[in-house]
Amino acid sequence: MRWTLWIVLGLFPLIDGHPTLKTDQNSLETADAALNHQNGSLNSVLHLDDTEKAALETTRNDPAFPMKELNTSHYPATRAAKVAQHYLNYHHGSPFKWFMVHAVKKASSEDIPEVGKKYHIQFSVQEQATKEIVGNCTAEILFRHTEVQSAPEVNCTCDDLLKIKTSDADHALYHHIKHQPEPMTGMDIPDSHGNIPKEMEPFWYLGGIGASFIMWQQSNESTLYNMAHVHSVKQLNSENDLLAFEYVVLLHDMVSQEIIHWHMQVAWNPTQGVKVTQCHLLPKGTLKQPSAEKHKI
Amino acid sequence: MYSRDQVLRIAAKDVEQITLLKDLEELEHLELDFWKGPTHPDFPTDVHVPFASLQAVKVFLESNNIQYSIMIEDLQSMVEEEKIQISRSRSTEQMRNTNSFDYASYHTLDEIYSWMDMLVSEQSNLVSKIHIGSTFENHPIYVLKFSTGGTKRPAIWIDTGIHSREWVTQASGIWMAKKLATDYGKDAIITSILNEMDIFIEIVTNPDGFYFTHTQNRMWRKTRSTNSGSSCVGVDPNRNWDVGFGGAGASSNPCSETYRGSHANSESEVKSIVDFVKSHGNFKAFISIHSYSQMLLYPYGYTKTPVADQQELHNLAKKATDALSTLYGTSYRYGNIIDTIYQSSGCTIDWTYNQGIKYSYTFELRDTGRYGFILPANQIIPTAQETWLAVKTIMEHTYNNPY
Repeated sequence: MRWTLWIVLGLFPLIDGHPTLKTDQNSLETADAALNHQNGSLNSVLHLDDTEKAALETTRNDPAFPMKELNTSHYPATRAAKVAQHYLNYHHGSPFKWFMVHAVKKASSEDIPEVGKKYHIQFSVQEQATKEIVGNCTAEILFRHTEVQSAPEVNCTCDDLLKIKTSDADHALYHHIKHQPEPMTGMDIPDSHGNIPKEMEPFWYLGGIGASFIMWQQSNESTLYNMAHVHSVKQLNSENDLLAFEYVVLLHDMVSQEIIHWHMQVAWNPTQGVKVTQCHLLPKGTLKQPSAEKHKI
Repeated sequence: MYSRDQVLRIAAKDVEQITLLKDLEELEHLELDFWKGPTHPDFPTDVHVPFASLQAVKVFLESNNIQYSIMIEDLQSMVEEEKIQISRSRSTEQMRNTNSFDYASYHTLDEIYSWMDMLVSEQSNLVSKIHIGSTFENHPIYVLKFSTGGTKRPAIWIDTGIHSREWVTQASGIWMAKKLATDYGKDAIITSILNEMDIFIEIVTNPDGFYFTHTQNRMWRKTRSTNSGSSCVGVDPNRNWDVGFGGAGASSNPCSETYRGSHANSESEVKSIVDFVKSHGNFKAFISIHSYSQMLLYPYGYTKTPVADQQELHNLAKKATDALSTLYGTSYRYGNIIDTIYQSSGCTIDWTYNQGIKYSYTFELRDTGRYGFILPANQIIPTAQETWLAVKTIMEHTYNNPY
C-alpha cells in the first residue's frame, strides 16, 4: 500500500484548485477567483482525478492509519464543525440565510502521514433567520500540516439544505438597494448592547457570510473563529449586476482570544450568491475601537 | 435611518408663501414630514426633509424667496443623542429601588455599584457588601454576602465579569443576586441552603476592564494594569492564578489576550479573591462565570491529568446542564477545561480546586458565536434564568454533600 501513497503524495503539489494564503496572512489576491464551486452542490476542493481519489480511499481503510472516534463535546470535533459551518455559509449563505452549528452528532479523525489530519463529522445546523434546523449534514475536513497557514479542504453535504428558500427576500432586498438614490452605509453592527436596526440585519448577515470566507481560509486545528462585530459597511459603485460592499469586520478567535480586524470587499446578487473579491488583515490598533456610549460615565 | 436628513424651520412672510408651502406639502414623492404644517405667516412651518429631497426643497424655497433656517442639521445624530438621554434619565429614575431596576439592559459600573447599595439597604438582614480590595486604577472591588447568620459558615462563591467584555455575565450576576435575595423565604432549596451556608457574589470582578469596555473598547478582556517594558496594557485575570503558572496554556507576551502576568497573583483583582478565599477557609463551591460558548467546565485546564473527583463533577455537570436546558432548550456542552475548550494554565478553578474547593466550575454562557460577546440585552434575563437553574443544581448538590 505504501507505494500508492507515495504516488498520491507526489501528485499533491500539482493540485491547485483553491485560493490560498500561501505566503502570509496579509492578503488574499482575487480571493475567490480560483475557487471552483458549482451551484447547488458542494464539491470537494481537492480536485483529485479518479486515480488519486482511489489512492486516498485505500489509505482510509488501511489499519496502519486508523480512524479515531472523537468525543463530540471536545474541541477537536467542535473546531472541525465550525470550519464546515464557515464553508457552508460561504457557499449557501445570503443576507437572509446564515447557519450556525447546532449539534455535532458523530465525529472521527484520521492522520494522513506527511499530509495532515482529516476529520469526518455528522452534524446539524440551524439557520438563524428562520430558526430552521437542517439535521443531516456530513463533512470531511482536511487540515494540512503546512508551515504556513493553508485553508482547510472541505467536502460538505446537507440533506434538505435547499428547503430554506430565501430567494423572494433576496430579490426584494436587491431591488430595494438598487433603487436607493444614495449608496448605503452602516457602522457598529451590532451596537455595544447587541442592538441591530431591522434594516441593517441583512447587511449584518452579508458581512457574516463574507467573513465566513475569511474564517474558513484562516482556520486550522488551533483556531475557532466567529465574527464578533461589523465595524463598518459601505456600498461601492458597481458597473455590473452585482452589488458591491466594503466591510471592516472584527473576528474573534476563541483559542487565542484575539480580536482581529479584516477589511473585505463583498459582491452579491441573489442568483450568484456571495463572493469575497478582496480582503486583507488590518494591523492591530488601526481602528478606533467600538465603545458603548459616546458620553463619559 | 435618518442619516443626513434635516429639519427646516420655514418663515413664510405672507399668505402667498403659505400657499406655496401648501403646494409643496402636496408633492408626495418628496416624502416630506411636516412637524408644524403651513398655516399662517405668524407661525413657523417645521418640516423634516429626507436627504434625497433636500436640494429640491431648498431650491424651491430660495427661488421663491422664502426664508428658512436649518433647525436640525442631521436628524440621525439627534435621534441617537436623544436615545442616550432617554436611557440616562431612565436609569437615574430606576435607581429608586431594586424592583424597578431594568434587569433587561446593560448597565455602567456606577449604576451597578448604586444598585448594590440599594439591595443591601433594602435587605440588610440578608445582604451585606464587603470591600475585598482595589483594582489597579483604584476602583473598589466589592462582594455581596448573603447570610442568615453564623460565623464562617460553609460557603458558595459566584463571580461574574472577570473578563470585562463578557457583558451578559455581569448582567446575569445582578439578576441572580436579586433572585437570591427575593427567593430566600420563598424557594425551599434556596431557603435551606441559606439557613446553613453563606453565598458570596462578586458581580464586577474586573472593574477597570469593565469601565474600559464602556468608554473605549467594547472588546477589552484583560485588566488594565501597565506592563513594564511594554506599551501593551493588561493581564488576563484567568491566567494569573497560582496553578501551572508559566506552563503551556497562557502567553508570556504582554500584548496577548492571554498574557499571564509577570508572576502569579500579580493582579490585585486576582489577589483580592485569593486572600479572601484563603482567610475565609470554608468555601465548598466556587463558580466562575464567563461567556460565550455555552459550556459548563470543571478542572483541570493546565493538565490532562483528571481531577480525583472527575466522575462526580462530570455527573453533576450533566445534571446542571440538563436543568438549564429545561427552560428554553439551550444546549450546553460540558467536560474538563483542557479537553472541552483548550489548554489554559493559571486559571481560576484549577486554583480553587487545588485549594480543596471540590465543586469548582466555570460557565461559558450564551451564545455560540452568532452575537458572541455582544449579546442583545433582550437575552439577559432568559440567560440569567436558565443559568440560575444550573447554579442552583450545583448549590443544592454542594449543600446535600458536605465534606
